[in-house]
Amino acid sequence: MKIVAIIPAYNEGSRVAEAVRDALLFVDDAVVIDDCSSDKTSEQAFKAGAFVLRHIINRGQGAALQTGTDYALENLNADIVVHFDADGQMQGKDIPKMIKPILDNQADVVLGSRFLSGKLQMPLSRKIILKLGIVFTLIISGIKLSDTHCGFRALSRKAAREIKITRDRMAHASEILDLIKVKKMRFVECAVEIKYSKESLAKGQSSWGAFIIVKDLLKSKFLDI
Amino acid sequence: MIFQILLIAFAAFALAITFRQYRARKVSLYWFIVWAILWLVVIAVALLPQATDPVAQLVGVQRGADLLVYIAIVVLAYGLYKVLVRLEKVQKEISDVVRQVGINRVEKPKDHE
Repeated sequence: MKIVAIIPAYNEGSRVAEAVRDALLFVDDAVVIDDCSSDKTSEQAFKAGAFVLRHIINRGQGAALQTGTDYALENLNADIVVHFDADGQMQGKDIPKMIKPILDNQADVVLGSRFLSGKLQMPLSRKIILKLGIVFTLIISGIKLSDTHCGFRALSRKAAREIKITRDRMAHASEILDLIKVKKMRFVECAVEIKYSKESLAKGQSSWGAFIIVKDLLKSKFLDI
Repeated sequence: MIFQILLIAFAAFALAITFRQYRARKVSLYWFIVWAILWLVVIAVALLPQATDPVAQLVGVQRGADLLVYIAIVVLAYGLYKVLVRLEKVQKEISDVVRQVGINRVEKPKDHE
């Protein structure tokens, strides 16, 4: 079984190496997609032992994930791909329990959840936005989850092949859920630990980002081509 | 009166620009004809605004000028929609190209070379 971590990164020069090293303790290969960073993201990721693919134009996290997935499936023969963040918020030690349901043939997709463990430390405003996201996803995609935009996912080869991300920007998270429902894939949630640092909170999605996701998603529903 | 003159002057200017673009082969004959007809109609309507009234009344609008505004809004809205759809398509194509370039130029870790 070949496990490949897919790590989209944009200006994460100071943190990507640590994320790669952490992931590589639990996966066979790590693929970093540098989404046209202006810092040393590529160099740092390469030094840490990752395959590095560089977007020559910034295309967004969704596009980067799809680039990594294409490469992992076609060139690295991945059996399972794991979506992992470059900013050090996700913990490599969670990867084994994320991929277990796939190894046990109980699920095609495993979705990380920050809320299942009940130990989450996060600002109230963000918590409210995320809860609204859960309601929104239930209405739009018809999937009930405890956390819809965690970003930590594990996909079997079959699922990774079928889930083609076409929403280049942040709406890909909802698109993936849509596709899980449409393609009737088996999915489970898995409690994961996310560590919020001041630095990563400042750079991560702001609460306004939620509105941009909603806008992107609605646009995608009306402008589907 | 002033508005009519301004409109005619603008339409004539646009017509001249379109012709120049066509001569420079930046616009195809098809699109030159489409734009030329549009601007000629604008000039004709500006010269004889009442001429459009019977057509307007035929479709249930009182004045020809109003009818033209309604048509213009619908055409512009449709045009905008088409442009947005095209833009989305172009965005996707750019992503595909960027993705392919990224994959072709992959940097592999030393133990995988």
